[in-house]
Formats: sequence, C-alpha cells, structure tokens
Amino acid sequence: MAQSSTGSLQEQIERLLPTVVKPGRYVGGELNQAVKPWESVQTHVALVFPDIYDLGQSNLGMALLYDILNQRADIAAERAFAPWVDMEDALRTAGLPLFSLENKRALGDFEIIGVSLPYETLYTNFLNILDLGRIPLYSSDRDDAHPLVIAGGQAAYNPEPIAPFVDAFAIGEGEEVILEIVDAHQAWGRSNGSRQDLLVQLAGIPGVYVPALVDVAYHPDGTIKAVTPAHPAISLPVGKRILAKLSPPMTRFLVPNVEVAQERVNIEIMRGCTRGCRFCHAGMVNRPIRERSVDEILTALEAGLDQTGYEEVSLLSLSSSDHSQVIPLIEGLRALLTERQVNITLPSLRIESFTEELMDILQSLSPGGGFTLAPEAGTERLRNVINKPLSDAELMETVRSVFEHGWKSLKLYFMIGHPGETLADVEAIADVCKAVLEEGRRIAGGRIRVHAGVSTFIPKPHTPFQWAAFDDPEVIADKLSLLHNSLRGSKIKLTWNDPQASLLEAWLSRGDRRLAAVIHRAWENGARFDAWGDKFQIEPWQKAFEDTGVDPEFYSTRARGLDEILPWEQINAGVDKAFLLEDYQMSLAEETRPDCRERCYGCGILTAFNELRLASPGGGWKCP
Amino acid sequence: MTQPTSITRIRVRYSKGSILRFTGHLDLQRIWERTLRRSGLPIRYSQGFHRRARLNLASALPLGFVSDDEQLDFWMDGSTPLKDITERLVAAAPPGLEIQSVQEVDLSEDALQTQMKASEFVVSFYDQQDPAALLEQIEGLLAQDEIIYVRRKKAYDLRPLILNLEIITFAAGEPGLRMRLLAQPGATGRPDDLMDVLGFPNTDYLIRRTALFLT
Repeated sequence: MAQSSTGSLQEQIERLLPTVVKPGRYVGGELNQAVKPWESVQTHVALVFPDIYDLGQSNLGMALLYDILNQRADIAAERAFAPWVDMEDALRTAGLPLFSLENKRALGDFEIIGVSLPYETLYTNFLNILDLGRIPLYSSDRDDAHPLVIAGGQAAYNPEPIAPFVDAFAIGEGEEVILEIVDAHQAWGRSNGSRQDLLVQLAGIPGVYVPALVDVAYHPDGTIKAVTPAHPAISLPVGKRILAKLSPPMTRFLVPNVEVAQERVNIEIMRGCTRGCRFCHAGMVNRPIRERSVDEILTALEAGLDQTGYEEVSLLSLSSSDHSQVIPLIEGLRALLTERQVNITLPSLRIESFTEELMDILQSLSPGGGFTLAPEAGTERLRNVINKPLSDAELMETVRSVFEHGWKSLKLYFMIGHPGETLADVEAIADVCKAVLEEGRRIAGGRIRVHAGVSTFIPKPHTPFQWAAFDDPEVIADKLSLLHNSLRGSKIKLTWNDPQASLLEAWLSRGDRRLAAVIHRAWENGARFDAWGDKFQIEPWQKAFEDTGVDPEFYSTRARGLDEILPWEQINAGVDKAFLLEDYQMSLAEETRPDCRERCYGCGILTAFNELRLASPGGGWKCP
Repeated sequence: MTQPTSITRIRVRYSKGSILRFTGHLDLQRIWERTLRRSGLPIRYSQGFHRRARLNLASALPLGFVSDDEQLDFWMDGSTPLKDITERLVAAAPPGLEIQSVQEVDLSEDALQTQMKASEFVVSFYDQQDPAALLEQIEGLLAQDEIIYVRRKKAYDLRPLILNLEIITFAAGEPGLRMRLLAQPGATGRPDDLMDVLGFPNTDYLIRRTALFLT
C-alpha cells in the first residue's frame, strides 16, 4: 500500500500536491477525459493553455482540438496549464518538469506542443511553460530531440512578437489544419528528414506560418523595409483557414472535479460578425458569418447536458441577438430549460437588435439578474467614428425597456482612447450614465443600480484602426480622472481597466519580431500572469525595454504610416488592406458603414473564400 | 406548490478514490448533483430560481483523503426499483466515485450529519517506517491526559476525540496506523492533526477513511 519515494513522475508530483493551493488543478481524471496508454499511439500532442487550469479548462477552442485529436486512434491529446506561482516554486525546488494532466508526462516527452493563445498577455506564461517543460525557448535552439512547438488562436493573427519562440503558427480556425499538421509530422517521422525539412513541409500546408522561413528587413527609422521568404518553397502572405460549414458542435465537455470558470455547456451558435465595428479584432478576423441551425443547437445542448450533468448552458457568438432565428432559438431553449431545471446565460446582445419580444423572453429566463449593454462611446459622433452607430434616443429607448421589464441593475460598457476622441466625448460617458440612472429611477424607483465599465481602446492588427495610435498614457489618465470627477456623488459605480495593462497589450498586439527580445527579458525579470490584475506589474516590462534598447513608444503611441509595411501583413485574415484603409478613412470623416448582411461592401472575404463556399453549400453563410 | 404523491429517500454508500483525492467537500457535492442529473432519475430539487438537487452528505472528508465508505442521501419522486437506481448511478458516476450500495430509508430519519458518531481512518506512509519507533510514539501520545492542538489559531484538545489508535501491518509487511476518531457536531477529530502531533508532515502519508459509524 505504501508507495516508493522515488517513483514515477506521477508519484513525485502526488507528494508535492498537499503543499500547494488547490491541488485539484494538477491531477486531471475528470469525467470525459481521454486517457490513452502512452505506447498505444504514434503521436502525442500536449495542448497547452498558458494560464491556470481554472481559466483554461473552459476554453472552447482547446476543448474542440482535444476532441478532434483524440478521435484519431493514432493520436493522444493531453492537457497542460500554467502552474500557479506556488506550484511553479514546488516544481523548480523538487527539480520536476511541467507535466500533462492525463498521463503525467513531462512536456518534453511529447512530439507536438500546441499552444492556445487567445490573447497576448499570455506570452510570458507561454515562455515559462516551455522553460518548466525543459524545452528550449527559441525555435532555433531546438533539435530532433525536442517537440515541435505550434501555436494558434486569436493572438496568432499577429505572430511576430513571439515568432522566434514558435516553430509554426496555425492561422485561423484550427479544426482541420491541426490534423494536417499531425499528418505532416508523421510523414516526416517516416522520412528520416531533418528538422528544417519538417518546417518546410509544414509551411506548405495552407494556413501554416513558419517564421523561421521568413526574413524581415528594416529601414533605418525602424519601420519594416521588406518581408521576404527565406526558402523557395515559401509563399506569402499566409492566408487564414476557415471551415466552409461549422462542424456539429462538440458536446462531450470535460467536467472538472474542482471549481473552474464557466462550468456549463457552451454551444457556439454562430461564428463571425457582420456589424463591422472598427475597433473589433474578433469582428474582422472571424469573417464570414456562419450560423448553426436552431435544431442543431438545441440537439447539441441536450446532448451536452446528458453528458455533463451541468446545471447551466451558454450560447456563444460575437453577437447572439443577430442570429437570424434568435426568437425560435430562445423559445426552444425555454422549453428545454424548464424540463431540465437548468439556467442560461446569453452574452453579447446588441442594443439595437432588442425587440420587446426578446426582452420578455430574457426576463422570464433570468429574473433578478443584471443586464449589460455596450454603447462603447458616449456621443453619437464618436459612435459613428467607431462604426457602432446608435442614436442617443435609441439607447435611451432600450434602457427604458430594460427597466420597464423589471431589471434593477444595468451595466454599461465604454472604451476611452478611441481615435479622434475629445474630452467632450469622455464627459458624455458620464452624462449618458447619469441619464440612464435618472430614467431607471423614474421607472422603477430608488433601487436601481447603474455600473459603468470603462476600458482603454487598443488599435488592433487587421482592423480599420490598425494605423491609429494608442492613446498617450498621460492622456488616458486625464480622461479617467475626468470621468471620476464627473461621476463623483452620482451613485454610479465606475470600474476601469488598469491603463498600464492596456499599454502592455498595445505593445504586444502591435509589435514586430524585435519585441521577442523584450518579452524574453520581461519573463527573465519576473513577469508572469500579466493578464491577472493582482499579478501584473509594469516594471519588469519597462526594465526589459531598457535592457534591450527597444523603444516602447514605437509600438504603442506611434500612428503607423498609411504606406508602411505593417508587421502582420504576411498574415492574410481575409479582409483586404484596401478595404480596411477605406473604412479607416470613412471613420476620419465620421461616416458609417451598415451591417454587411444587407449588402456586400467587398471586404475581401468572399473573394478569398468563395470557391470554398461554393464547394460546400449549406454552411449558413450570411453574406448576401 | 402541490407535492407529488410519493417521495423516496435514497441512501448511497460509495467510495472516493485517489482520482478525487484533491476534490474537497463542496466540489464533491457538485459532483454528486451532476451525477444525479446525468442519471436521469426524477430527483427532487430545492425551490427558488437556481434549482439545486436536494442531497445530503454524511460527513465532510478533508482534502487529500480517500475513502472506502462515504454516505449520502438524496430524494426523488415516486418509487423506482433499487436495482434500476443502482444501475443508473453506476453508469453516471465519474471516475473515482464508486457506488457500493443503494437502499431506501425512512423519510422521517434524522439527517445523516446528525446521525454521525465516529470515523475510522487508516494511514499509509510513503517512506519506510520503523514499527518499534512508531509504537513508542503512539503509546506516548495515548498516555497524555490532554493533547492541545492549534488549528487555524484555535486551540482544542485532541485527546478525548481519539477513540482508538493502533499500529497495523499491510500485506507487503510495512507498518501503518489505524484510528477511530469522534465525529459529532462540534467534536470531530482530524487524523491529519493527529499526524502533525506525531511529527509527520502531510507529504509523508496518505489517509484513507475506512468506515463511518452512525447511530
């Protein structure tokens, strides 16, 4: 019964666990986990989410890839997450490597490491995980003994800041390309080829970007002079991959044995968005819009509940109320939920798409809950600039309806730092909030609560604002204090994102290859968990810029020249640069561009993917 | 609200294996609720908007322990043959949760927590132990009139909570400990506290609950 003290990695880890916080994060063993005998499969893939289990386990992208890979008998996909700081210390002190949850194997034992990067502030955790897994940080330092390190996710649309650390990026939707990558790896394994051969073969897969095979040259002023293939087999740009038709939803969710974020059946009801908000990275890179049918969604929800026993379901999309069948969908949900005694969350609802009918149903589904709206800017003018047009009257009408339907708590999301924003636009945020509170009190009395959540705008790659500057941190501070003063004594709760965290996000999302040295240095300086409000510190980053002699403002507060080669241009997200530029210029003229489901404005996505669309009809595309 | 004609109270005896060693009491309750939901049995829910399954665990098992003998009660509508209930629970249970037996109990019985009297635990060590030294230690401990232990800044006397403490020998020949500790409201002995008094850090051993004693 007693175990040996110098046993397997699993036994050694088990002995560490009583000393760390929430050890259940590190053990796996959940319902619906896929564990295959190690020797029984040809290719072992470690899917890595570079934050703790509690956050990463519910990530839908990773869950999809886990399911797809494990359906293949010759592949085992296992999971690994960032250890919390106490577990990192425990592993380093005990001299143990970071391991997978399923077979408790060191990351270095896997043939492929697949890293999920939904946002940029995971980069230092990513390096930390490679280090804890004893994998060389730089692609150029890896040899045949080391795993292939691939990365994907929304942040990979600008791969350059972490290019030297990643062997290959999967750009766009990963469902199909992940298997092609494994196939290429297996074929390479049979061929006795060099690691360079593997990289060249991977680069031949549509949607795969191999940074080591691409050279970047710079002008004396630091801007990019040229991006050129470093190998004859490479062609640029690398276009993203998409599914012509969303595959049937994954329903076999893992059910964690310890509490994690978002324990529920998550079903993606559509992908993409046609609204064209100019600040929105997801809305630009995830085109075209593809819907799932009501039947498919409801069947998947039932199957998900059967397989998990969860007490909550959530419908995922960028704009749920834009689903063409939203009323039948929610009616169907209501019947299902009453029968099953489960709750629903329905995030991402658009202000102008609310009907009285939808409000009635939502109120009956979740009485007493709060309501959230995202006007994003305080004035009609600025809402036109960002192409989220909404008149003050429309906004107030929706607000009135929310309170009349019985909601007592309303949260409003805004951003500051939009291109062309004036102090009057910021002041208007406070005015809107006050008007909303007043309206609520008039309708429902004194117990109304209004909460303003304010974040800082970051000009993101592949959006019409990609050329715009990130607002000067001092100006952001002034705008925030203006808001504070304007809302003082108003009973409106104001919360805001740390502007320094936004500054970091601006550097990381707008950077080029030279930023890798800064990221590496920041990690050495102790940066970890940069996405965590209470762990993030700006100092390791400031010092990293000093140490490496890289100018931070070159990446953040500098507006990019319209003729400049942008660091992410070798990646084609399907929306043409000419379209983005036209849209940017429209924004400068305060012109809006309507929802493109009504008519096509030629963003480029249909040109890029029309053949694919025609080859597999019935994909629920909403392009006209 | 009208009550259905009959409600059944079902008692499940189950074991909690090493996969669930680091799943705490509250998380275990959620695991049970989801197991019951997956079983498809007509379970009873609490009232209110966020419905929770009505269930009741006998005794919280501390984090890091495994157990051969845990018990819970749940309530369901109508009467289903026990054999069917067992089959459905076995099929719905996650790895680490093993159903030992299922029986119907009287609705008027006291809550399981109220019926708890004592728990028995077995301790196995990861590293080689000298049985003679171990014996000397526990004899010394049991000879004391009081054993004041401070848990989370609260001092309490462990001695009256120890009903029994002895050395055992596992099949492979190595020594372990078996103890029976009081487990009543306000008077529950923790075996890990006792191990701490004996000078063993929690990285040195594994504790298995082997039996619950009810009134």
